[in-house]
Amino acid sequence: MIDPYYLQQLVIGLSLGMTYALMAIGFTLIFGVLNVVNFAHGEVYTIGAFASLVLITAFAPPFFLVVLFALLVGALAGFSLERIAFKPFRRFTDEASLKSRAMREATLMSSLAVSIIVRELIELVFGSQQQQVPFEYLINDPIHVGPVVITTGDVIIFVVSVAMLVGLQFLLTRTHVGLSIRAVSNNPLGARYVGINVDRTIIMTFVIGGMMGAAAGILVGLYYGVIFPAMGFVPGIKAFVAMVMGGLSSIPGAVICAIILGLSESIAVTFISSGWADIVAYSFLILTLIFFPQGLFGAKRERV
Amino acid sequence: MSDPVSRPAMPQAGRSLMSRVLPLVGALLVFALIPALLAHFGKGYFYQIANLALIFVLLAASLHVVTGVAGLLHLGHAAFYGVGAYTAGLLASHFDTTFVLTIPAAAVVTAAIAFLVALPTMRLVSIYFAVATLAIGQMIYLVLLNWVSFTNGPNGVLLFGGLSVFGIDLSSPTATYFVVALVVVASLVVIHRISHSYYGNALRSLREDDQCADAMGVRTVAMKMQAFVISAAFAGVAGALWAHTTGYIAPPDFDFAESILILSMIVVGGLGSLPGAIIGALLLILLPEFLRPLGDVRNIMVGCVLFFSILLLPRGLFGEVSALALVRRQLGDAWTTDAKGRGVGWR
Repeated sequence: MIDPYYLQQLVIGLSLGMTYALMAIGFTLIFGVLNVVNFAHGEVYTIGAFASLVLITAFAPPFFLVVLFALLVGALAGFSLERIAFKPFRRFTDEASLKSRAMREATLMSSLAVSIIVRELIELVFGSQQQQVPFEYLINDPIHVGPVVITTGDVIIFVVSVAMLVGLQFLLTRTHVGLSIRAVSNNPLGARYVGINVDRTIIMTFVIGGMMGAAAGILVGLYYGVIFPAMGFVPGIKAFVAMVMGGLSSIPGAVICAIILGLSESIAVTFISSGWADIVAYSFLILTLIFFPQGLFGAKRERV
Repeated sequence: MSDPVSRPAMPQAGRSLMSRVLPLVGALLVFALIPALLAHFGKGYFYQIANLALIFVLLAASLHVVTGVAGLLHLGHAAFYGVGAYTAGLLASHFDTTFVLTIPAAAVVTAAIAFLVALPTMRLVSIYFAVATLAIGQMIYLVLLNWVSFTNGPNGVLLFGGLSVFGIDLSSPTATYFVVALVVVASLVVIHRISHSYYGNALRSLREDDQCADAMGVRTVAMKMQAFVISAAFAGVAGALWAHTTGYIAPPDFDFAESILILSMIVVGGLGSLPGAIIGALLLILLPEFLRPLGDVRNIMVGCVLFFSILLLPRGLFGEVSALALVRRQLGDAWTTDAKGRGVGWR
């Protein structure tokens, strides 16, 4: 029989991993299609949380409407992000620009710049301190399962992640939009030649990714009960690690690796202090890059 | 290709009029004009800004070696800055070492750590290298933050007493400024000699196409490691200067945001151009100071400067190519031979 303490740590790790997974799904989707890192995804997450907080304090709507609103805000944020930070850098299609390293990494820098601007704007409006979520919206009522305690938030986050994953797999493999997304991610030029509207597909990807990011933001915000402007940074990094571990374009791989990451961190906390727990994720990243250059679940891709 | 952008930029050799006059003007500015102005204002605050600006000039110049010249996107530079600062800070606070010793010590320790970091990561390409350096930067930051018994954790390290060399007290603001300026300018000269040499051109070949360079016999992995270690050593020097001028260091000075700030400097200034790195550093350090009356908007302005410079000036304010174009306009074709019959563009 396992010590209930360790069982409890495992459950905590699982829920931590699910929160990373929520973030990683949207992140991986955007990377998989455009092959660029969207450093502003953490800010989409923050925007989702703050917009919902504003809605909650203003109207106190039911929980269902809050999530719906977050999805709407996320879609808008994804759309604007693509328009502001990514579209302008797809104007160069000649060979010299495509080969130039500065051009290839320009979108990384521009998404970083946008993320700085957004974060500072949020800080300007709301202040940099933590915002408390109204008590009745918190999703951490305890549920006792044998010796272990889980919360309603764990269940909700788990269900939402699974729903997102299944929904996304359905969208990608069974619908026309998904077919064009996969076509663009495989070969943008070829997709253009067969008549797919590449720009619209990319915007679609950002809208879906943004919706998932914003939903993750509000769910995690309600789960932990605090919302602050820099909240997107750490989950963003963890989602990134999960994506690299999972093999970049594989969304189920990213989810599995996010859960592995959460489990390892919560187990690590029992042996080392919580301040050091973040080092687990970074070590995983380095080890994956060195020893599994294809990722644990990914397709072949040149990285080394 | 007619577009001058795609031509690998050949830096000028150090014997034209331009390359003699510009550093002289810069040195005059740094050593005569600015101290005179600061003495006129006479406030410690302005000296602190001047020191900060000089230190970030050195940081940007050191990142210029690895990101601008060798083309490796490095997202963890502030961590090496932190290693240098902590080396100097701990040596000075525990053993009362003078800065004449702590600065080389910071350079050596930082270079050693950078070498260890470079061993596994240097084979990674493009964005994966960037991510690996991000992760390593964060790991170093976590060590600085959490190894409380060694680094004093979040409380930071206090350095007592100002600068002094062989019993001569240099702790007055003017003297400290001169010390910082001397070290920074000397390092800039060295960085300039490294990046504008035959060796620097080999590093540029890695930036343009490392597989091609490999095929031509350039030892790509070794050269990347050298560039990385050199850059880290200068970041360590900058960290030591920071520790000595402020007298207090704490982990938040060396986190991811600082790495991004340094990267923004060289991007705004123009990747691959040392003058660009200096201008970018001055711009991004001094702009927030001038915008201080505007209060909280200044960080947003910094983000906007970064964004619009990437959008509108993809080569930066004073990019390598535009710098060369300026030289060419002034002095004719830089690639023709000089009076002694030597090609000035090559070697």
